[in-house]
Order: sequence, then C-alpha cells, then structure tokens
Amino acid sequence: MRIGTAEKLRRDLTILFGIAVIYLGVSWFVPNSYYQLILTLVPIWAAFGVSWNILSGYGGQLSFGHASFFGVGGYCTTLALVYWGLTPWLGIPLGVVMGAIAAIIIGTPTFRLRGHYFALAMLAYPLAILYFMEYFGFQEVSLPMHREHPVFYLQFTDPRYYTLVAVFLLVVSVITCSLVENSRFGLALLAIRQNELAAEAAGIDARTWKMRALMVSGMIAAGAGGLYACVQLVVTPDSVFGLLVSAQPVVMTLFGGVASLWGPVIGAAVLVPLSKLLDAYAGDYLRGIQGVVYGAAVIAIILAAPDGLFWTIRDRFFKPRLPAPLPAPSQVANAAVASEVTDAALMIVGDLSKSFGGLRAVSNVSFTINAGEILGIIGPNGAGKTTLFNLLNGVLPADGGTATLAGVSMLGKKVHQVCHMGVGRTFQVVRSFPRLPLIDNVIVGAYGAGLSDQAAADEAIRALHRTGLAAQAGMPAGQLSNKQLRLMELARALAGRPRLLLLDETLAGLGREECDDVLNVLHRLRQEGMTIGIIEHTMHAMLRIADRFVVLDHGAVLASGKPRDVVEDRSVIEAYLGKKWLAKQHA
Amino acid sequence: MDLEALIESVLNALTAGITIGCIYGLMCIGLGLIFGIMKVVNFAQGELLMLGMFASFYLVTGGGVLAFLGPYIGPFVGALLAGPIVFVFGAFLHKFLISRVSGLRTAGSIDDGHFGQLIVTLGISLILQNGGMIVFGTIPVTVRTPLSSSAFLIGPIYGDATIFLNKAKLVACVVAIITALVLYFMLEFTRIGKALRAAADNPTAATYMGIDVDKYYRMAFALGSGITAIAGGLMATYLSFGSFVGFDYVIIMYSGVVLGGIGSIMGAFWGGMTVGMVQQMSTLVLPPQLQNAAIFIVFLLIVMLRPQGLFGRSAERA
Amino acid sequence: MLEVANLSVSYGGLRALTDVSLSVSEGQFVTVVGPNGAGKSTLFKTISGVVRPTEGTITFQGEDLLAMSAAKRAHRGIAHVPEGRQVFKTLTVLENLEMGAYPKAGRLHWSRTLERIHTLFPILAERSRQMAGTLSGGEQQMVAIGRGLACAPKLLMLDEPSMGLAPAVTDTIFERISQIHADGVTILLVEQRVAEALELSDHGYVLETGHVVLQGPYEILLADDRVRKSYLGLTEE
Repeated sequence: MRIGTAEKLRRDLTILFGIAVIYLGVSWFVPNSYYQLILTLVPIWAAFGVSWNILSGYGGQLSFGHASFFGVGGYCTTLALVYWGLTPWLGIPLGVVMGAIAAIIIGTPTFRLRGHYFALAMLAYPLAILYFMEYFGFQEVSLPMHREHPVFYLQFTDPRYYTLVAVFLLVVSVITCSLVENSRFGLALLAIRQNELAAEAAGIDARTWKMRALMVSGMIAAGAGGLYACVQLVVTPDSVFGLLVSAQPVVMTLFGGVASLWGPVIGAAVLVPLSKLLDAYAGDYLRGIQGVVYGAAVIAIILAAPDGLFWTIRDRFFKPRLPAPLPAPSQVANAAVASEVTDAALMIVGDLSKSFGGLRAVSNVSFTINAGEILGIIGPNGAGKTTLFNLLNGVLPADGGTATLAGVSMLGKKVHQVCHMGVGRTFQVVRSFPRLPLIDNVIVGAYGAGLSDQAAADEAIRALHRTGLAAQAGMPAGQLSNKQLRLMELARALAGRPRLLLLDETLAGLGREECDDVLNVLHRLRQEGMTIGIIEHTMHAMLRIADRFVVLDHGAVLASGKPRDVVEDRSVIEAYLGKKWLAKQHA
Repeated sequence: MDLEALIESVLNALTAGITIGCIYGLMCIGLGLIFGIMKVVNFAQGELLMLGMFASFYLVTGGGVLAFLGPYIGPFVGALLAGPIVFVFGAFLHKFLISRVSGLRTAGSIDDGHFGQLIVTLGISLILQNGGMIVFGTIPVTVRTPLSSSAFLIGPIYGDATIFLNKAKLVACVVAIITALVLYFMLEFTRIGKALRAAADNPTAATYMGIDVDKYYRMAFALGSGITAIAGGLMATYLSFGSFVGFDYVIIMYSGVVLGGIGSIMGAFWGGMTVGMVQQMSTLVLPPQLQNAAIFIVFLLIVMLRPQGLFGRSAERA
Repeated sequence: MLEVANLSVSYGGLRALTDVSLSVSEGQFVTVVGPNGAGKSTLFKTISGVVRPTEGTITFQGEDLLAMSAAKRAHRGIAHVPEGRQVFKTLTVLENLEMGAYPKAGRLHWSRTLERIHTLFPILAERSRQMAGTLSGGEQQMVAIGRGLACAPKLLMLDEPSMGLAPAVTDTIFERISQIHADGVTILLVEQRVAEALELSDHGYVLETGHVVLQGPYEILLADDRVRKSYLGLTEE
C-alpha cells in the first residue's frame, strides 16, 4: 500500500459499508416495484461507472466504448443460461472472465493509439459487435424463467433481493477500486494520466499498467452487464452494446467526480433516478428526455466543474488535512563513498548521432562521465543538449553510435528500461501531479525502479530528506514553489536508486538564493558518491558545481575539460558570442 | 451467378459508390474543416448532418418556403439552404460551448483540450439526438422527389447488363461536387481562405500577422457545420431519416477524414469517396447487417495501420 | 516610437523579466542581446502581445499597446519576425508573404511592396510557388522577414533570426537586415550573437536573467568586457 493510505482505506471502507447498509435499509421499505427497479439499477450503473473510472478516470485513457464489456457480460450470462442452463450465479463470473479476455483482445491493438484516436477506436468496438449480434440473430434474447427454483437462477419474486445483489456487486467494485487507488497500481495510473513520458522516465511501464487497468475495468463492467441482464430479463444488442450504454459511465463519472472513489456512485445516484423519473412522468410526450438531461448534465459539469461534483464540493467545504509528519528514514545514508572524482568512466558515449530530416541535431558526439563527478553540458541555444539527453534516456532512438553505462548499452531500450538500469532523469519542464501530496509525486520514481512497497517508501523518504523537502512531504504538489518543484523532480529521480542522474536545466528560473540551495543539494549528492550529468545555462552556477564541462554547438562537441579552461577557450567564446566579437577584442 | 449478372452488380455498385461517395466526400470535408483545421474532435458532427436533413425537410415539404420550386429543384435548393442555417447554428455552438474547450485557450495543455472537446460534443450530440426526437418526432421522414424513383439507364453493356443511374443520387452527386469545388476555390484563392489555412497551420504566427485566430476558428467550425449540413440535405433526398441518423455516419466521417489525412481538406473528400465505395461494394458480398460493421472494421484498420492517411502530414501513434 | 517602461513578467512562478525599460526612436536600429535564458524572447513576446506582463507599460506612438490584443497590434504597424521563423509550412512562399500583408496597410501598395521584397530576397521570387515548409532554414528566415515587411511596417521586430542557421547564412541575413534599415525601417532586433548584432545597431541593451545590466551606443558596448562576462558567467568575480 502507498504511504499514508492505511487510514484512508479504513475510512473509505467504513463509509462504504455504512452507505450500503443505509441504502439497503431504505430500499427494504420501498413497496412500489418501479421505484425498486430504480434502486436496483443505481448500484449496477454505479459499478459500471466505477469500472470506467479505473481506466479512464485514474488512468486517463478516455474510452467511449465500455459497452463492449458490459455487453459481453450481459450476453455471456444470458446465453449461458439459455443454451447450457447455467445459473447466473456462475454465469456472471463466467461473464467476468470473458470481460477480461475481451479486454486483452481489444486492448492489445488499441493501446497503440493515443488520445482521441483511442477514444474513437474504443467507440467502434461495441458498435461493430452490435451489428454482428444482429446478424447472428441475437436480436432479442429473453432469459428463461425458472419458477421452480428461482433463487438458484438469480431470479427473485421479491425485487428487493435484486437490489441486495446489486449492492453487493457495487461494494465489491468499490473495494477493488479502493485497493487499486491506494496501491502503486493507482499511483502508476495517475502518473500515466498526468504525463506518460515523465512516468516512463520514472520507470513505469505504461503499456503493462494500462492493460491491467483495462482488464480490471472490463471484468467489473462485464459483471455489471451480467447482473443487468438478470434484472431486465432480456437483452438486445442496443440495450447492452448501444451508444447510450457507452455514454452512461462517462457521463456519470464525469458528473460525480473523475478519479475519485465516490464519483461514479454520486453520479449514478443523481442521474439514474432523475432520468428514469423524467422518463416515467414526461416520457410520453417528451420521449428522449433522458438523453437530453444527460447531455446537458455533461456539458454543465465539464464547463462549470470540470473535475466533477465530488472534487468541487470537497475543495469548497473541506479543508485540506494537515500533512502527517514524515517518519525519519529507516536507514542512515549509505556508506560514504570516496568523495574525490575518480577516473573510472561510468558512462561512455561514442559517436552518437541523430538527425531530423536534414538537420543534424546530434553529430558524432563522444564523451565520458566519470563515476562520482559532476559533468556540465553547456552550449548555445539549439546546440542539441536536450536531444542528447533524450537519446541517452530512451525517449528518442539514436541513428548511430554507442552509449554504455558500466559497460551495458543504453541504446535501443525503452524509457522505463533505461530507468531500471539506474539512470534517473529530470526534464526541462517540471511535471507534477498537483493534487497528490509531494511524497506520492516522489515515490513514483521508486515504484518505477521496481522497488517493493516498503523499500519504495524508505527510498522516497530518504530522497525527501536528501533534497531538504521532508517538511513538505504531505503538501499537494500544486502548492509548491518553483524551487521545491525542481527539487521534487530531483527527489523523484533519486527515489529510484540511480547510479547516474541526468538533470536538464534544473536551475532554470531560480533566483540567486534558490539557486544556491539547489547547488548545495547537488554538492551533498556528489559527496555521497552520485554521478551527475547536468545541462545548464546559468553559467556562474555551473562554474561552481561542475568538475568538467562538455561544450556542444550545432550538435557537435566543441570543447571539453576543466571549466576555467573551457570558458577561456577561443572556440567556445566564438560559439557564444560570435566570430566578430573575438576579432574585435583582438583588433 | 452468371457473368452478366455479376458484371451488372459490380458496375451498379461502382456507380452507386461513386455517386454516394461524392456526397460522403462533401460530408467529410465538413469534418475535415473542423477536425483537420481546428484539431477539434467533434463528436456531434453526425448531428449536424441530421440537422441539415431536417432543415432541408422543413424548408421544402408541407408549407415549406420552397414548395413553390416544385419537387424537382426544391429538394436540392433546400439542401443548399440548409448550409447557411446550420452555419449560423454552428457559429453559436462554437461561440458558447466549443470555444471554451478549444483554440488558443487550450493550446498548451497536455492533450490540446481534446478531453474537454470530446465530452462537450458528446453532450451536444446527446441533446441534439434526443432533443431532435422530441422536436421532430419519431417517425422517419424523407424529402420526396420523383427523381429518386427514376433512373438513367446506361447500356446495355455486355449482354443485358445495364447500369441504373438513380437520378436523385446523380443530381445530389453533382451538387456535392460543385459545392466542394466552390469551397476549394474559396480556400485556395481568397484572402479569407488563405487566412483560414494560415490560422490552422500556425495560430501563433497568424496572430503576429494580425489575424484574429479566434474569429477564424469560429468561421471554420461554422463552415464545417454548414458543409456537412448541405451533404445531409442532399442525402435527405434518397434516405429516410430520424433524429438518430447521424450516429451511423460519425464513424464514416472519421474514417474518411483519417483516411484522407488529417489536415488535408480535399484529402477528406477522397477519403469520404473511398469509404463510400467500400460501403457500396460491400453490398455485393456482405449481408445488410454486416455492411455497417464493415465500416467500423475499415475505420479500425485505417487508424491502426495508416493513421496519417493518404494525403496527411502528421500522425498520432504511440 | 516604442516605449517600454518598468516591464515585469512572470509566468508559472518564474520571474522572466524584472523592471525592464527600453525605447526605440523612429529610424533607429536597437538591439537587445544577452545569454540564453536572459528573457529576450519573453520581452519580444510581451511587446507582440502573446504574453501579458505583471507590471509596466508599453506604448507605441503614444498608444497603449497593453490595451490591444496581439492581433490588433499588427494592424498598428508593428511587424514581427518570430523566433524559429514560424513560417506557414503548408502555404506557398507567395501566400506566406500575402499573409504578411493581411493588415490594410499592407494591401495598400501591395505590388510595390512585393517588388521590394523580391529585390531584397530574390530567391523568394524564384520559389514563389513552393511550399514554405520545404525550404532550407535560411530561406525560411528570408520568408519570415519578407512576411514582416509585407505590411509596410513602421517598426520591424526580429527575434533571434540567426538561431539554428549556419554562420555563413547568418551573415547574409544580417546584411539584408542592415539594408532594410538603410531603406528607412525602424528595427528592434533581439539576438544572441553579440558582435554582429551590436555592430549594425545604433543602440544596444544587454539583458541578463531578466534585468537590463548594460546599455548604450554600440561602440561603448563592444569595447566593454562585461558583455563577455555576462555570457560566460564570470560576472560574480
């Protein structure tokens, strides 16, 4: 479990059981069978919403086609009953398994797409399945009634029992979601949603996590679909694969609160009764009012409260809790490594090249970073410094050349694989997860490096102490200052126990004193034996911290060596100030 | 099946494919303007098509304004007039809703505002579809013209094989081509057209030139709405439709635009034409229920295998 | 003509510019130089309207620029040649120039203006019908400058025209800029390449981490070693 979540987990589960008990209690006394139906449908749709929330809310992979799984569950349960006489008590779990399989089949090709392409492709699946279902003659399949042993077949004469089963389904779904949310699974999803690239750079294998999320999501959705079929006693392609079905969880969760445990529940609790009642009272002369209400609700929410009701209410009325005090690191800082710079090369780059079209962005670059040193990579704007880091880190593929870390090649690997090798990277533009506390922003790096929960927690705490951010551990990242954000990126990279840090413009935009603070942190790290490669423009800072410089210009290495020497080097001055300047000075 | 009948089927499917393809092409140009130029994902494009159909319907039938033009010209003028009507509607949509989730306002954000656009246009789509059912009723209608039940006969070619060129579809096809050409000329040769392309190409630089990018985005959206509406009005002459008709065509439109290549407006036309051909040719081999599924499969294939389309410039692949 | 007074700009918690003042008189050639990260581009973007300042004023010929949107400023006679050229890649060279002439002032004597642009940059006449995205970096820079001239501006602003270009090409570009100035256009140039920029100008400002650290006529600046120090980080010594 993530740090500090035990209490939240307990609280959420208590609330969940409380709500369930109250809900069932209330529903027990509702006599009218139409209202009972609504009470049954609310938890079913809410569970569907929870399933969507896992993939699209937490994970940020917007899906417009969750009806695929809902329908798979619905038809599977129904057909199993019709053709095999299989009781839905087993048929629904069977549907759940089918949901997982469907997730794998759908996810494997579709996760290659991003953004709106992903959403549109997901839309296409249930609609295509819908047509296939009509073609195969499954226009309208009724569930056969079993009057002899109704309970055995999940058929109840008393509709209140349906509500009971539905609430049970919802409770299971919410518990699943809660476990996801409070574990590294949830954190990985949130990180991917916020910035997939930074998440990958922190070592998170986005592809795998997204697939897992889709599977969990598909399973819950299929369960909801199966139960829905039992309640309605009939399935048609449109009722379980249709566009409105796909829209349900989207609208509900957006309305109630994306990426929150209670969002889909709130959304379902408000919208389902609203539309059903509207349908009942106004449905005769306003057929379709349900769709209009959903549409209006969705537009209103996305414009006025884009994160949904839950977050808006929570932000307005509930003060953020005081950050819990951070425990001391459970280990003392690792044994002091020799603090002088050694000559042992840790990273060796040879003839590295990269072109974009006709432009040689990186041109036969060769240099080494020695273990325990700080190498400054400088050069005029557009010299190719960030591109170089992107090549080393796995963000871009190199056209040619070599780069090895302790003898092992860094090239041809995906970003998270390079991270696992022991390379930590920060980016020019800081990406944080503003709503999450600082400690969570940092621990992502540890999860990405494959550390166990306990080890990850330890490393994250240590990283915060090393960067001087321990006091802000519980603060939401959105409230941090610029300097603190930069240190956070550094801490996140440190939490993964790297052997080499690649820092891209860590000092950008900092004032004098803030700069000094960060430089002190880097000094300390170097004393502890860390190897650092840093791109910077703030020259006076670099002169104080770097052991050696490598100067890039127009993608090629111009000079390298001790800082004082490099700065006096004629070709370097020329690169920065221009040939004529030099000529003038000597005129 | 004997050879003659086969040839006749194929030729007729081809002809239908070309004529319907041109209309689809026009429809896709509309989305191309919005999706291609403004990079706005518009989920409600099918509903704009639907509005075009109904606008034309109300203009022409019953006590409609154009009744005096008679059933031969009326429907097509109605289709053309549906354009400006939906143009205005689109402008309002953009001004009050779409502009809040697109354009320079969201240009810097992680997904270019696509999440918000998808949701807002989903909401608009739901409202229009269901609201349309309330306002227009549930009984499918059509814009009747005697042309839809008569055809030119070409042939006989090869034995008894004859091509039946449905007159309504033919006229619609011609109108579609002319509209597309007019749009093409406007974009290529007028100052406004060039400014529109400039705003799409590089909004920051366009602002430096003094181009009011917001205004042009609104124009692009309204234009895209109007063009698709005209296509709708043309389709109204040979289809019967209700308020949910749009949703069948959303996937067709996206397929066409993606196939033609994002950013290429005329590419969208060819993309739409191709999709139309595929659809008509599929009637030769697939049963009716699966024809629509075929379009979805085609869409998925395009998006997976060649997202940059035939004429496109950029792709958004993992 | 252009008066910037006490300009301060912050965004995202970064202080990009602090209390910057500069002025450009009619007919002058003013340069702003400074190392990377000094805030030169931010200054440019604030004057053109893409970025809003937190404090300070900008007036152009007496009018308050801050009261106008970015698009409107072009119509007042300020032309921009932005950083990285930013040509319209999918439009032809000629169409790019026509877009430059979008404001009414540009359309007034269009054929004459176009001729002038073609005289300055003959290659643009040659490549009139070519898509701007297929041109080389130097040629694109010429398109961008030509585009700036297309509206017959009163003030031409250039943001780092040498960036990403080979030295030989840069020399040509600077030559042409000098010619444009000689033709009577007022110029504000923001540049990283110090010597070339200062040499062409009447007056220069040196920016470092958002402050003006030095200003004066070019001979004085060229002789001042502090400029070098500010680029190569030895100011603290």
